Amino acid sequence: MKQALIISLKVLAVDMPLLFLLGTAIGWILAKKRFKGREILSLLVLLPVALPPSVLGLYLLMFIGHVPFLKHLGLLFSFPAAALAALVPALPIMIQAARSGFASVPEELEDAARTLGDGEWRVFRRVTLLLSRRSLVAGLALASARTLGDFGITLMIAGNIPGRTQTLPLYIFSQMEALEFAKANLAAALLVVVGIVSLALVKRMEEGRYERLV
Amino acid sequence: MSAWFEASLDHQVGEFRLQIDLFLEREIGVLFGPSGSGKSLTLRLLAGLDTPKRGQVHLGGRQLLEVPGGIIQPPRQRRIGLVFQQLALFPHLNALENVAYGLSGSRRYDIAREWLARVDLKGMDQRYPAQLSGGQKQRVALARALAPEPDLLLLDEPFNTLDSPLRRSLRRELKRLHRETGVPLLYVTHYIEDVCSMGGRIFFLKDGQLTGNINVDQLWNTSSQVGAWHALGWGNLLHGEVCRREGGTWFVWGEGALELPASVQIMGPVSVFIPPNHVKILYQDIPVDPQLVPNVMHGRVVERVSIGSTTSLYVAAAGLQWQLEFPIKSYDRLDLKEGADVRIAVRPGSISLLEHDRGGSEYENTNTAPG
Repeated sequence: MKQALIISLKVLAVDMPLLFLLGTAIGWILAKKRFKGREILSLLVLLPVALPPSVLGLYLLMFIGHVPFLKHLGLLFSFPAAALAALVPALPIMIQAARSGFASVPEELEDAARTLGDGEWRVFRRVTLLLSRRSLVAGLALASARTLGDFGITLMIAGNIPGRTQTLPLYIFSQMEALEFAKANLAAALLVVVGIVSLALVKRMEEGRYERLV
Repeated sequence: MSAWFEASLDHQVGEFRLQIDLFLEREIGVLFGPSGSGKSLTLRLLAGLDTPKRGQVHLGGRQLLEVPGGIIQPPRQRRIGLVFQQLALFPHLNALENVAYGLSGSRRYDIAREWLARVDLKGMDQRYPAQLSGGQKQRVALARALAPEPDLLLLDEPFNTLDSPLRRSLRRELKRLHRETGVPLLYVTHYIEDVCSMGGRIFFLKDGQLTGNINVDQLWNTSSQVGAWHALGWGNLLHGEVCRREGGTWFVWGEGALELPASVQIMGPVSVFIPPNHVKILYQDIPVDPQLVPNVMHGRVVERVSIGSTTSLYVAAAGLQWQLEFPIKSYDRLDLKEGADVRIAVRPGSISLLEHDRGGSEYENTNTAPG
C-alpha cells in the first residue's frame, strides 16, 4: 500500500498547483471577462463532470496517442498520464469554485482599487483574490479530494501498474480482486479520512466570508 | 484661459445618450439631476472606469482623455478620487488599511492615521467596516479618497443612506476638508438640500443632457419666480414667505399658499423646493386625502412631454408653472392633453424649506427623497 500511497501523494503534489493556477485563471476569465464564446467555454470546462470517466479516458487516450508531438513523449501508461487523468475531472470543481468566488466580489470594490492607483494585476492581488480566498481554498480542498479519488480515467490512460501508476483507488480495486479485504479496507479508510477532512475544510471556509483565514 | 478641470463627454449606452460639458476651478461643483439622468455614468467616465465614445478631459494641466485621439489614461494615473454611492470600503481591511490603500512608502500608515484623526476617527484604526456606523464609514471613505491627494474628488451621492442631521454634519465636514486641502469637488446629488448647502457651481443634468450651470447665489435670486432655476432645472423652486394663519403654518407667495407641516419653526422669507414627482394630480370623482385638502390648486396643462417611461407635465396654477413627473401609464383615465383643466396638490411633508438668508441651511421637517 505504501507504494500506492506515495504515487497518490505525488499525483496530488503535481496536480494541486496546476489545479490552483488553471482553475483560478479560467475561473477569473469566466467571472470577469465578457467575450464571444464565453458560454461555450463555460460549458466546455464543465464537460468532464457530465461525461463518464471511460469516455473521457477513451478520448484522452486517442488524443495523446494520435497527436504527433504528444505521441512521442511516451506519456501513456506512465506517471504523467496518472497525473493528467486525476487532473481532468478535478479541474471543473476548482474552476466553478473560483468563478463563483470571483463573481461574488463586488465590482465596485475593484473599481475603488483602480481609482486608488492600482493597475489590474494589483487589483486582482489586493482585492479580488483576497476577498475570494475562502472560495478558492474550499474549491481546492474539494478538487484535491477528487484528484485523489480518480479511478476510471487513470485506469484508461495510465493503467494499473504497481509502483508506476497504481494510485490508492486502483490499489483498492486490485486488492479486492485478490480478495485481500483487509488491505482494501485500510486504503479505503485512509481515503474516507481525506474526504472528511476536505469537507470539514470547505465548511470552515464557508463560515466566514471576509475574515482572515486563520 | 482654461480652467483647472475641463471635461467634455459624449457617450451612448443603449438608448441613453449622455452629453455633458463641465468645468471647475479649485472649487465645489454640484451635479444635480433626477435619478437616471446620467450622473453616476458621468463620474465613471471622468474617473476612467468607462470610456466615452468621444470626449476630452483636462485636469491640472494634464490631458487625461482625448477620444478619438488615442489618449485614454487608466484610472490609476488620473489622480481623481471617487467616493462611491455604496462607499465600497474594503471589507477585509480595517479602517487604517482602507485609508492607507492608495498610499505607498514607509510612512503610509502614519499618513493614514493622520487622515483618520482629521475625519474624527482617532482610535478607530483597527475597526473593520462591518464594525463602523454609517457616518463613520462615510468618513473612512472620504479619508481614503483624499489621502492620496487627488487633483479632483468625485462624490456619487455619498450621504444618501443617512438621515438628515448626519447628512448635514457630513456636508459641513466635507466643506471643511475642501477648505483645508484645496481639492476641488464634484458632488453628484438629486437632493436639493445638498445643492443649497454644498454651494459653488451647480450643473443641471436631465436625461443625459446638461441644461446649464449657475452659481449657487443665483438660486436665491427672488426677483422672478421663473428664474434661473426654472429655465435650467428639475423640480419646483418657489420663493415666498412663511407665516401663521388659520391655526396652521403656511408658505405664501403672490397668488397662492401651501400649508406646511406643523413642525416648521421659522418665519419670514424662504424658498421651498418640491420635487416634480411629489406634485400629485387629483381625480375628479375620488375623495381627496385630508392631508392634501388645504394644498389643492386648480390649473391648466401647458405642456406634456413623455420621455422613456416618464411623463413630464407642466401645469400653470396659482401664478406659477409647476413641473410634474409620473410614470407614463399613470393617470391614464384622465385626459391630460395640453390645455386640459387639472387639480394638483402637494403633501405638506413633501415641501423642503431652504432658508436663503443663511445660505441654505435646512430644517428637520424636510422630506424630499424623491422615488
